[in-house]
Amino acid sequence: MSGLLNVGARALMANQSALQTIGNNIANVNTPGYSRQSVVLQNVAGEFTGSGFYGKGVEIVTVQRNYSEFLTKQAAVAKSVAASDSTRYSNLRQLEDIFQGGPDGLGAAVSNMLNSFSDITSAPNDLTARTVALTRADETATRFQAVTTQINDLRIGTIGQLKTDVIAINSLAEQIAKSNIKIAEAKGSGQSPNDLLDQRDQLISELNRYIQTSTIAADDGSVGIFIAGSQPLVLGKTVSPVKIIDDNFTDIAKSQFAITVAGATQPIDAARLGGGEVAGLLRFQNSDLVDATNLLGRMALAIGTRMNEQQALGLDLSGNAGVALFSLKNLPNGLPASTNTGTDTLTVSVQSNPSGTTSFNPSDYVFSFASATTGTLTRLSDNVVTNFDFSTPPVVVDGLTIQSTGAAAAGDRFLIKPFSKAASSITTAFSSPKSLAMASPITGSAGVANLGTLTLDRLAVKTVPAPAVAFPQVDLSFALNTVTGDFEYTSSNPAAVPITGVYTPGVPIAMSISGWSFELTLKGVPNNAVAPTLPDTYSIKTNTAPMLNADNAQAMLDLRDLAMFDGGPLTDGYASLMSEIGVKVQSGKSSSAVSSGIFTNIDKDRAGVSGVNLDEEAAKLLQFQQAYQASGKMMQIAQNVFDTLLQSLGR
Amino acid sequence: MRLGTANTYDNTLANLTDRQAGLADLQEKLSAGKKVVRASDDPTGAAQAERAMSRISRIETEQRALSLQINAVTAAESTLGDATGLLQDIRDLVISAGNAGYSSVNRTTIAQEMIGLRDQLFAYANKQDSNGIPLFGSLGSSNLPFTDATSGVIFNGIPGQRAGTTVSIPGAMDGQAVWMNVPTGNGVYSVALGGTNAGRAWSDQGQVVDPSLVTGDNYTLTFTVDTTVTPNITTYDVVNTTAGGAVLSAQPFKDGQSIQFDGLSFTARGIPATGDSLEIAPSVRSNLFKVLDDAIAGIKGASNSNTLTQAITLALTQIDTGMERVQSARGQAGDLLKRADNIASNQQVKSDQVTTDRSRAEDMDMVKGISDFQNQQTGYDAALRTYAQVQRLSLFNYLG
Repeated sequence: MSGLLNVGARALMANQSALQTIGNNIANVNTPGYSRQSVVLQNVAGEFTGSGFYGKGVEIVTVQRNYSEFLTKQAAVAKSVAASDSTRYSNLRQLEDIFQGGPDGLGAAVSNMLNSFSDITSAPNDLTARTVALTRADETATRFQAVTTQINDLRIGTIGQLKTDVIAINSLAEQIAKSNIKIAEAKGSGQSPNDLLDQRDQLISELNRYIQTSTIAADDGSVGIFIAGSQPLVLGKTVSPVKIIDDNFTDIAKSQFAITVAGATQPIDAARLGGGEVAGLLRFQNSDLVDATNLLGRMALAIGTRMNEQQALGLDLSGNAGVALFSLKNLPNGLPASTNTGTDTLTVSVQSNPSGTTSFNPSDYVFSFASATTGTLTRLSDNVVTNFDFSTPPVVVDGLTIQSTGAAAAGDRFLIKPFSKAASSITTAFSSPKSLAMASPITGSAGVANLGTLTLDRLAVKTVPAPAVAFPQVDLSFALNTVTGDFEYTSSNPAAVPITGVYTPGVPIAMSISGWSFELTLKGVPNNAVAPTLPDTYSIKTNTAPMLNADNAQAMLDLRDLAMFDGGPLTDGYASLMSEIGVKVQSGKSSSAVSSGIFTNIDKDRAGVSGVNLDEEAAKLLQFQQAYQASGKMMQIAQNVFDTLLQSLGR
Repeated sequence: MRLGTANTYDNTLANLTDRQAGLADLQEKLSAGKKVVRASDDPTGAAQAERAMSRISRIETEQRALSLQINAVTAAESTLGDATGLLQDIRDLVISAGNAGYSSVNRTTIAQEMIGLRDQLFAYANKQDSNGIPLFGSLGSSNLPFTDATSGVIFNGIPGQRAGTTVSIPGAMDGQAVWMNVPTGNGVYSVALGGTNAGRAWSDQGQVVDPSLVTGDNYTLTFTVDTTVTPNITTYDVVNTTAGGAVLSAQPFKDGQSIQFDGLSFTARGIPATGDSLEIAPSVRSNLFKVLDDAIAGIKGASNSNTLTQAITLALTQIDTGMERVQSARGQAGDLLKRADNIASNQQVKSDQVTTDRSRAEDMDMVKGISDFQNQQTGYDAALRTYAQVQRLSLFNYLG
């Protein structure tokens, strides 16, 4: 009888506890990181009597946390990969917004600038047309600067976010360490501290949003958190703080992630970080932003330098040689690695004659010295390695000229960033429209007695001597070679070294004399002169009418088709830049979609194990309520039985 | 399979947000009329559209330049037409000056009139287009390519004609070839009267009968009249004054009969006196204005009828050559304009093509876009409805 009462009381207690646990589950249905709990019931060992074992009711073994370690870890990793991809993608979208296409884009600005020289060819002395061209040039320069400023803003934002993330990582690591202590203490009680464990798992999950971790559980219930494979972020109660440090070359454009283990700061290669916002941000800053800056910088440097070169080949409205249209800062010196021991300085400039502007590759370069003068040069965009030797200076690579001054030590490394400053520093160098050097210093001139149909297609000046040398007149005369049937030209002037060749209409005749070099393109057919008629002649002489000449403006127009960016024409440079960024964004988008899809699925599986299902809880609520009611009834019956016994005794 | 309630809510919400974002994205594209709003929508398409846009603006630029060139050449062409008319007027005046009934006063009047016309012609040569660029500036010149100096008209330009390209025509004609390229005489040689002629002899400007024999030397033809016989017998000698040596000697002269030597042929007329001569000189390059100046001087200053006739003959020959030059330049201008028409229509075709390319690369197919939009809308609607219904299902609804 008391047995029944005891069984009833135990059942009542057990079911009440179960109901409490269910209530707790329902209460925490929306708590992040909460793992559904359930009571583990066990029947109490029976009492032996002569007639067998009598069960003594139910008891609660423990409150169990429903949780799968595997899925929780997987979800954390998937979360960090998804966070990395989505952070990069959202930043890339911002970067893409900077490189707008269409009539308001930088490409249209460049194209409009070059097209505006057409009005100058129509009216060389029209100051309005010149002012328009100059304004367009200024607008292009301003646009380059504006885009650079936007990229810099993005970079500053990225660095800011990196620093915030690092603070969050350190703070989470501290909390996990504290959790470790608490859990180790609670473990001593012999029961699993479910809620503390949930909290720690939640902290680890949050940490994985910032950086991918791997966890190893210790016997005392604490976990060790490792980043980049093997670096201990948290070991028991010890935290190794992380921070953002300068790149090896002190390159302000890049950041590096580092961990301080036992007082020693160790940089961590971003490629080994795996996932997490930090990895996404580092990839965005160190690779995507650097690529975009280089693409933009290359465009500014190539266009600016080439137009300056062209400007230098012309005469302005006052008849003076053209001065630079754009002012571009000197290319930055090579950045020495922090480990360098030598005293070398690498200076970089654009290769001239032939102009290096058409060979640029939008990349940074690393010089690694194996001896004082030799070593290997790595182009970072595609990791192509070549050898260099400064004993025969200068070293020329991709249109750049690199000079070494000082002494390098073996093992020294330098980072060359040729395009890092161009787009931010480009400005127009003058404001007077008269200073646009639109006239050619020399001109073709047909012989006045010519009877053939020779017409001047183009006289392209390639180099002018510096310091200035007066142009020596060149006179060509054309005669038919009766054997071959071709017209051949011979120069009667200069006399010393005659210029001769076979004339083909429309094919440039390249000539070089006294430091001047130029290409004359004629069309038409010379007269087949029979004595006493003199042969047709063509002369190249100093331009006596520069006011109304716009040959150099025409040369500027011709730049539109110059094979400049990886062999593509100048005006298409922006289109390929834009699509290159577009491709990055596109791939960023798809990898973000894939990784977030994976995370969603794994998290769903994890929630399937750990998450609270209200319908299930409702059903259990009914189940245990009924059990509770039955237990109560059981006690009531025990009492009735007792009462019956008492009554029978009272008679 | 168990489902976590909170997770289900979260996932459904995330899906709804995605659909909403997709709908907003499509709506943005529809309202912009473009399927490529960002480069990442279709990097290749975006690059194509960008390239097409730069081609379009380039064609526009070229068309604008071409229209200016057409204006300039049209102006040059009509100027040359006016010049032809003017030269015709001058020619008529020259012919009328030969009228035997005219006194020197009449001829002075004619000369005055010719001076006026000649100045007008000079103004034509310096004409400019709407931008102040000389129409006849050749390969380059100062603002006024021609200056009227006391020594004669000077061309301050660089002779030659610019070639056209596939997208442009030259905006200036070769002023040197049009105005400054009139050979004296018949183009190979000229015949002038000796300065001390006493008789009445004159000649035409002749022609070349055998180009292979032409030497390009100077000759002097001297008449000798034998008065001892009646009728007098007139003979002539020709001496090559450049190379030296007699070419013809004691040839009988007959009025109106052609005189031939060294591939040249001309006709001397009239009654020469002994010692009268004709000077044959190779043609030199003169200019239209000099030709007119000489004609004016010849008509104004003619001392007798044979010098007048000689001057008129020479003037007419040279004016005709000049007129030919002007007319051929006019024909060239016409050719240029025709070429410009071809270029303009080619450019239009190219422009249409590039515009189509651009449109194909980035413009939205509205029918497809709207149908996609409606599909997505229906999908979103269905998602919202099912979400609402599924979330209403709960065991708790049936308890209590």
